[in-house]
Amino acid sequence: MTTRILVRPGCYHDSARLMQVSRELSALPGIQEAVAMMGTETNRRLLAEAGFLGTDVDAATPIDMIVGLRGGPDTAVTAATAALDRLLSGSATSAGGPAAPERPGTVSEALEARPAANLVSVAVPGPYAAFVAHRALDAARSVFLFSDNVPLADEVALKRRAAALGLLVMGPDCGTAILAGVGLGFANRVERGPVGIVGASGTGIQELCSLLDRSGVGVSHAIGTGSRDLSAGVGGLMTEAGLGLLANDPATRALLLVAKHPDAGVAERLHGLLATLGKPVAVRYLGEGRRGEVDGVLYAGSLDEAAEAAASRVASTPAARGDLAFAAREAVAPVGAGGSRLVGLFGGGSLAAEARCVLEARGIATRVPEEKLAANAPLPPGNLVVDTGDDAYTVGRPHPMVDQTVRCELIRAAGSDPSVGVLLLDLVLGDGAHPDPAPEIVEAVAAARAARGSRPLSVVASVCGTRRDPQGTARQEETLRRAGVEVEPSAARAAATAADLVLSVRQEVAR
Amino acid sequence: MSATSLLGGPIEVVHAGIDAVAEAPRAAGAPVTVVDFRPPAGGDTRRMALLSELLSGPAAREIDAANARALARLLASRPHLVAIGVARDVVPGMADDLFLHAGPPVTWERMCGPMRGAVIGGLLYEGRAKDADEAERLAASGVVRFDPCHHHDAVGPMAGLVTPSMPVFVIEDRGGERPGTRTFCTLNEGLGKVLRYGAFSEEVVARLVFMRDELGPVLAEALALRGPIDLKHLMAQALQMGDEGHNRNRAGTSLLFRELAPAVVRATADRERAARVLDFVNGNDHFFLNLSMPMGKCLLKAAEGEPLSSLVSVMARNGTDFGIQLASMPGRWFTGPALNVRGLYFPGRTEADANPDIGDSAITETAGFGGFAMAAAPAIVQFVGGSAEDALAATRAMRRITLGPNPGFAIPSLGFSGSPTGIDLRLALERNLLPQINTGIAHREPGVGQVGAGLVTPPWEAFHAALEAFAEHVRASRA
Repeated sequence: MTTRILVRPGCYHDSARLMQVSRELSALPGIQEAVAMMGTETNRRLLAEAGFLGTDVDAATPIDMIVGLRGGPDTAVTAATAALDRLLSGSATSAGGPAAPERPGTVSEALEARPAANLVSVAVPGPYAAFVAHRALDAARSVFLFSDNVPLADEVALKRRAAALGLLVMGPDCGTAILAGVGLGFANRVERGPVGIVGASGTGIQELCSLLDRSGVGVSHAIGTGSRDLSAGVGGLMTEAGLGLLANDPATRALLLVAKHPDAGVAERLHGLLATLGKPVAVRYLGEGRRGEVDGVLYAGSLDEAAEAAASRVASTPAARGDLAFAAREAVAPVGAGGSRLVGLFGGGSLAAEARCVLEARGIATRVPEEKLAANAPLPPGNLVVDTGDDAYTVGRPHPMVDQTVRCELIRAAGSDPSVGVLLLDLVLGDGAHPDPAPEIVEAVAAARAARGSRPLSVVASVCGTRRDPQGTARQEETLRRAGVEVEPSAARAAATAADLVLSVRQEVAR
Repeated sequence: MSATSLLGGPIEVVHAGIDAVAEAPRAAGAPVTVVDFRPPAGGDTRRMALLSELLSGPAAREIDAANARALARLLASRPHLVAIGVARDVVPGMADDLFLHAGPPVTWERMCGPMRGAVIGGLLYEGRAKDADEAERLAASGVVRFDPCHHHDAVGPMAGLVTPSMPVFVIEDRGGERPGTRTFCTLNEGLGKVLRYGAFSEEVVARLVFMRDELGPVLAEALALRGPIDLKHLMAQALQMGDEGHNRNRAGTSLLFRELAPAVVRATADRERAARVLDFVNGNDHFFLNLSMPMGKCLLKAAEGEPLSSLVSVMARNGTDFGIQLASMPGRWFTGPALNVRGLYFPGRTEADANPDIGDSAITETAGFGGFAMAAAPAIVQFVGGSAEDALAATRAMRRITLGPNPGFAIPSLGFSGSPTGIDLRLALERNLLPQINTGIAHREPGVGQVGAGLVTPPWEAFHAALEAFAEHVRASRA
C-alpha cells in the first residue's frame, strides 16, 4: 500500500471539477482512495484525518490543489499520478489549434466586456462568494448568489449595500430564481404569466412554479432571497426588496411568498408590508400550520393551497377550489401485511418540511433522525423524514437533486426493512437537476421490493416539474407509475396519500 | 442598472463558479459570459476582506482619485539626462564609507553570492583592499556601510553597486509638478564578466577604472557641450524600434550614440580617447539600460506622495529579498523572498547555477515598460514563449493590473496603444496576477558573472504585506 500526496501550486479548480478528478482517479486499477481538494484550512484538516499528512499539505494555500492517492502496487499509484497530469492538461486549450477566446478573469472585467449584462450569477466556494458579489455591486449589477457557507455578517453587508443601491442580492444559498423568463440555478421552465414569487426556499419556489404550471398559470418573476433572509440577523432585507419590486411590476397581478420558519419578529414586520402591497398575496411559511386570511393576506397551510389561491385570483373564471384540507381520499391500494412505518427520503429540504407538516396534521408523528442514516446500519425507530440534501449527506459530493447515489442506497436499505410499509419520495426536475432521475429511483425501489420477498412495499412520490422541463415531466411520472409508484403532483399531496396508507395499515392491524 | 430594469429584461448573465448553475439561463437563450474564476488575494479570508474594503468601501473612490492623480503626474514627468557626475559629489547622502546596493536593505550576512562578489569588487576598485580575502574581511567588519540605492534616489542593475568614486548619470525632471527632482544611476559596464553580476577579476576592476577615468569625464564634457537629452523622447522611439527598455536596449543605445557622438568628438582633443569612449558605448547593447532605469525612477518619484494611492512605486531585489513600495508610503519596504528566474541559459549553464532574482531594474516594469512593453520587442519573444502572439499576450495581461496606458510609450503591434502603466496593488490582488519582469540571471557564486536571462515575478508575500499596511494606512489617514 502506497500513500502519495501531490501538490499543484496555483492550480485552482471548482468543486465540480475536483469531484470529477477524484472520481476518475479512484476508478483506476489499484487505487483505493483518491481525493482532490483545494488547500483550504478545512480541506487540509480533512486530508489529515484521511491519513494524507505531510509538510507539503501543511504549506499548501487555498489556491493550491492537493491530491491524495492511496493504493498498490506502487506502479498503480505512479500510473495514477500520470493520469492526473493528463486530466489536468486536458482541461487546458490544446496546443496548436486555434486559440479559444480568452475568458475574462474576474467579474469586473467580464462586466467591462459585456456592458449589457445586467445580472451576475455566483456559484464559487462560500469563502470567496461575498468578495465576488461585492464586485458585481461595484459595477451596479444585481446578483444571483448560489454559493452557500457564506458568513452571516457578509450576507448582511451585501444585502444592506444592495438595498441602498436599489439592487438585488438573491442569496447566499439561493437555489433558484426566474427573472423575465430566464431561470437561474435549479429552475423549472415556466410560461411567463401573472403570478410573482418571492422565496427564501429554493424547492419551495420550484414547487410553486410546478403547481402553477399544472393549473396552466405562468410566472412573471420568481425572486429567490437565500435561505436566511427571514432570519433575525438578515431581517428580510431582500424579501422586502423583492416584494416591493413585484408590487410595482405591471406584469405581476398576484404574489406568493414562501419561506421556511421565519423569525417571528421579521414575519410580523413583513406582515405590515404584505397587507399594504395592493395586490393579492398568499404566504406559505413551511413547517407552520394554516392561519387563514389575516388583513387580506392568506397564510396558507400548504404550498398547494397558496398556489391555488394565487391561480384563482388571476384566473378569468375562478377555478373550483381543490381538496386542500387533505381530507381522507378514496382508498388507495392496500398495503397488506407490510410494516406500518413510513420513511420519507427527500432531495428537497423544503419539500421534506412540507411533508412532515402534512403528516403531523394527519396524526402521524415523524422525526428527523439525529444521526445520519447509513445504508449498512439498522434504521432508527419511528416514522422518519430525511432531507438527503442536508450537509451531512453532501460532504464532497453533489446535491441529491443532481446525484442520487446516496438517496438510492437509502431507498434500497429502508425499503428492504420489513418494518417499513411506506416510502415517501420527491423528484425535482428542471434545469440544473439530474437529467433523468426516475429510472434510478425505480431501480432502487425494485431492489428493495425484491429483498422483501412477498411483503408489499408502498411507494409514493411527488414530481415537481413543468411541461417544458427537459426531463419530460410526463415521462418521469409514467416511469414511476409503471413501476408501481403512486405519483402525486406535490409533496403535500404525496404526504397525504402516504398518510392514508399508513392509517389504513394501522386499521388493518387493529382489525 | 436598477433591479427594476432587470425585471424588464432581456437578461444577460455573467457567471462565476460551478458551470451547471449557468445551464438554466443558457437553456432560456440568455447570453452567459463565464468568468475564469480564481480565488482573489490567494484565497485568504482576512486579505479578501481588506481588499474588498479598499475596492468598494468608503475610501475606494478616494483611492481611485489618488491613483488617477498619481498616474497623471507620472505621465507629466519629463526626465532628462542633464549631467554625468561622481557619486560622492552628486548622489544625496553619499559618503566615503557608503556602498549602495540594489533592492531593499540587506546585511553582509544575508547578502547573496553575486552581491558579495560586487562588494568585493567595489572594495578592490576603491583601493580599500588588495585582494578578495581582505575585501571579504573588510566587508564583514563593518568598515563600509551598506544602503539601498533607492534610499538615495538611485537605481542600479543586478547587484546595483554604487561606490563613492563611480561616475553616475544625473537625471532631472524637466516637467510635471515637481521639476528639478533628480535620480541617479551608474554607467553600464557591458555584458560578460562585470561587477553588477558579481564578478571582481582584474579585468572587471580595470574596466571600472576606465569608466571612472575616461568614459565618465569624456561623456560629462560631451553632454555639457550638447545640452540635456530628453530620455522619454528617446525611450518612446526605442519602443518603436524593437526595445522594451529592460532586456533589449539596442535601439535606445543606438539613439543615444547618435545624440552623443558629435559632442564626444568635439569635446575630446585626443582622437583615440574619443574613439575608445565611442567604441565602448557602441559595443554595449545595454548601455541605455542605465538610462531607462533612472528615467523610470524619475517618472515614479513624480507619482509619489499621493497619500491614498495604491500605485506601486518601487519594485527592487537584492538577490535575497524582493521589496516593493507604494506611492502613498514612499520609503517603506514590503518584502518577500526573491524568486528563481524562469530563463534561457548560456551554453553550459543551468538553473542550478542561478542566483534568485536580483537588481533594481524592475523599476522599468514599475514605470510601465520593460516586461510590460514585451509586445514592442519581437526580437526577444523567446523569453515569453517564442511567438509574437505570446509577447502581445504578455503586454495585454499587464493591462489587467495597471491604472492606464502611457500614451507617450506607444506600442506599434498593439495599434499604437500606450504601454500599460502604474501597477495598482489592488488590481494585482483582485486578479491574482503579478507583474511580469524581464531580467538577467547572475551566477549564485561570487566572482562568476551572468549565466542567462529570463522572466520572473515578485513574491506574493510582498504584495500581501503591502496590502495589510496600505489598509491600515488608509484607515489612519481617514480617521
